[in-house]
Amino acid sequence: MNTVVYCSPFVPAEWIAAHGMRPSWLRPRSAAGRPRAGAARGVCPYAGAMVDTVLSGIEAAAVVLTTTCDQMRYAAATLERQGSLPVFLMNVPRTWETAAARDLYRDELRRLGRFLVRLGGKEPSPEELACAMLRYDDARVRRVGQAQRSPTEEDAPGLGGTALRLSHPTTALPQQERIPLALIGGPLAEEDSGLFDLIERAGGCVVLDATEGGERTLPAPFDPERTRTHPLEELVDAYFGSIPDVFRRPNDRLYQWLGEQIAARGVRGILFRRYLWCDLWHAELHRLRQWSPVPVLDFDAVGEEDSAMARTVGRLEAFLEMLQ
Amino acid sequence: MNPSAQRITLDQWDQRYAELHARGLCEPTYGGPLRRHVREGDVRLLKLRMDNSAAALRLWNFLLSEEDRLHRARAEGKKIIGTMKDLGTVPVMAYSLDNAVAFYPDGAWWLPCVMEDRTGLLPIADSLGIDESFCPVRAMLGAFVSEAHFPIPDMLTCSVGATCDDVAAIAQRLAGLGFPILWWEVPHRRRPDPGEPSVELPGGFLAPASQVAFVRSELDRVREAIEACAGQRLTDERLSAGIAQANRVRRLLDELRRLGYGASPCPLPVLEMLIAEMLAIHFCSDREETIRVLEDLLTEVKRRASAGIGVLAPDAVRVFWVNPVADLRVMNLLEDAGGRVCGSEYMFCHALDAIPEDLPPMEALARMALADPMVGSPADRAERICRDAQRFGAEAVVISRIPGASHCGLEGTIIGDAVRAGLGLPVAEIEVPPISDSIEPALRTRLEALIETVVDARGTTFKSSNENCRGTTFKSSNENCSGTTFKSSNENCRGTT
Repeated sequence: MNTVVYCSPFVPAEWIAAHGMRPSWLRPRSAAGRPRAGAARGVCPYAGAMVDTVLSGIEAAAVVLTTTCDQMRYAAATLERQGSLPVFLMNVPRTWETAAARDLYRDELRRLGRFLVRLGGKEPSPEELACAMLRYDDARVRRVGQAQRSPTEEDAPGLGGTALRLSHPTTALPQQERIPLALIGGPLAEEDSGLFDLIERAGGCVVLDATEGGERTLPAPFDPERTRTHPLEELVDAYFGSIPDVFRRPNDRLYQWLGEQIAARGVRGILFRRYLWCDLWHAELHRLRQWSPVPVLDFDAVGEEDSAMARTVGRLEAFLEMLQ
Repeated sequence: MNPSAQRITLDQWDQRYAELHARGLCEPTYGGPLRRHVREGDVRLLKLRMDNSAAALRLWNFLLSEEDRLHRARAEGKKIIGTMKDLGTVPVMAYSLDNAVAFYPDGAWWLPCVMEDRTGLLPIADSLGIDESFCPVRAMLGAFVSEAHFPIPDMLTCSVGATCDDVAAIAQRLAGLGFPILWWEVPHRRRPDPGEPSVELPGGFLAPASQVAFVRSELDRVREAIEACAGQRLTDERLSAGIAQANRVRRLLDELRRLGYGASPCPLPVLEMLIAEMLAIHFCSDREETIRVLEDLLTEVKRRASAGIGVLAPDAVRVFWVNPVADLRVMNLLEDAGGRVCGSEYMFCHALDAIPEDLPPMEALARMALADPMVGSPADRAERICRDAQRFGAEAVVISRIPGASHCGLEGTIIGDAVRAGLGLPVAEIEVPPISDSIEPALRTRLEALIETVVDARGTTFKSSNENCRGTTFKSSNENCSGTTFKSSNENCRGTT
């Protein structure tokens, strides 16, 4: 089965799967031994690593990127020019309050579908789409319900390989003694795989993963009846109509969602993780600090840097000490 | 009025102004000596070399008096519409009404340069978490908060979608601070799929008809909001008349660019050309005066071109310039190094293309908005840059990076590679901060190296001194191009008089 990689939560995994392809969330890594796009001044380390990862060779039939950030738009052009894989750039409107924006998103899904068919996929019938949606929905419900998980489960079917993370203890410190934290920000890269362990070793516990690819960016649960009668419309509403994100204009629903979740999970501190040159998240830091009912720790990711991890650990420990 | 053409300093302008005045110079109400702007804080003028014509004086005075004009419009009861990240679409709509003016708040990005960082705008942006990792457009945030420059608009629009993250992020901060914003969407312009209905846009790009229809529906929302703000109907008739006037501006600029970039010797310095082009975005808050300013400038350029008068050496290296500079002084540096700008793509070439007048006006505006070079693939933009560079006979291309701008991280490589592969021209990529003094030697070296590369390839001896041109009259000559080995060499002299 052809694999289609993507790295935006606005690309529904079940839409790809319904077309007979295997969706896989791309976790970029810095490639050694080749020119690094991410090393260029002004390039977001994540976007750069994504370009490097794809150019270094991945087993996939195509790459699907979205317009949710400007640098990804330029990354798509870079891959089209330098890479060998077909690239699909999906328009995800930043505005969301009009029916026209929603319709544009739906039309882009249809266009993605035609792209997948050209790659060898098969246009799904409404029943096939509904079936795929319910299967993924069920997997998400089960995954969110898990209290623990193994890191090897990240690519498990049902989530389309999204990087949904839930806290899993790696220290002897009892769960109730760890400080409940929210992790907020953009997507995580391959190099971030140890971040959750790091937080727990420092005495914290991520009870709210609000990074891109985390639970913040899960679609709303599908309505079974509407899924059967109007699957594509339900899919559009569950994704475009419900995921709160920083790029949306206005993005007030992000704060609304955070406010609800912070209260519900008893979050005592926010870890705000942003990439250098990521304007969208960076610009929110000040506003978040003013808005947040709990302290906020900013730590930026600058890509590969020897001192970065030590600095992160130091700041994290100090932050958690302050929260004790 | 003056047979010679020179780039002169502000000190020289003092004397020049007195001369012009003594000869009976007639000025508009915003006229006066350029020195007064320095007293008002625009101290960067002290480090610039500007054209010495009365037309250029009018242009500079027009540019530097915009804030006064906006405050006057407010006092007269006109509605002020701030159009963020909108290079030439909503302003055309606003100026179709008789009680509204539009301006481009992002234009505040030049304030730190013009006032040499004495505005206090950047520290305000810093204090709000928008630091130097953002594009200098962050000065706009400071301008809104301080209210020390432009009046707070009655209505704010911001286009988002396939636009830079800097403005989208800063505008969201503004919204968070209580400035209501009407967001309108411009999707990433894609190439039509095979068999998909498509539309040719001004400038030559193709777009799917569905995208044009979407943008048109977005502009309909903007139109309704403008009508509500201004209390006037923005009928198709009014809009068509507004488009016709916008096209007058564009036609003037087209002719100005044809002569200003094509004639040899160069009849007008690049600084004045840059400012003239910027007028197309929002008419510097006065559309009718924009037309008069450009007519004046064009008259002067025609006079110089027909007389073979120029401000630079006839053999100045022809450079195509990509992206606007945060520090205007850098444009002087290129000319000091022996170059001249022979064409430009300052991120708004769509605002220079004529808006179709044979279409329903909203359809025409939608097509124009989608023709924005920045909303499509940078590969498309590179294609147009190559086309224009060839048309203007460029011998080299400079890609000017804007510090922190989200599009600048990766676009330079794409455009540079396309230019090298398609035209075989040398390319220099530089980054220009709002005040470039500290890196001026490095910038100068980069530009000189580029010029020398071209001159070496010409196989001719080159004098980089601008003194060659002062007060002298050159005959435009096709000899400038003979014996060169550049692909576009024959184009170099076209359009000269």
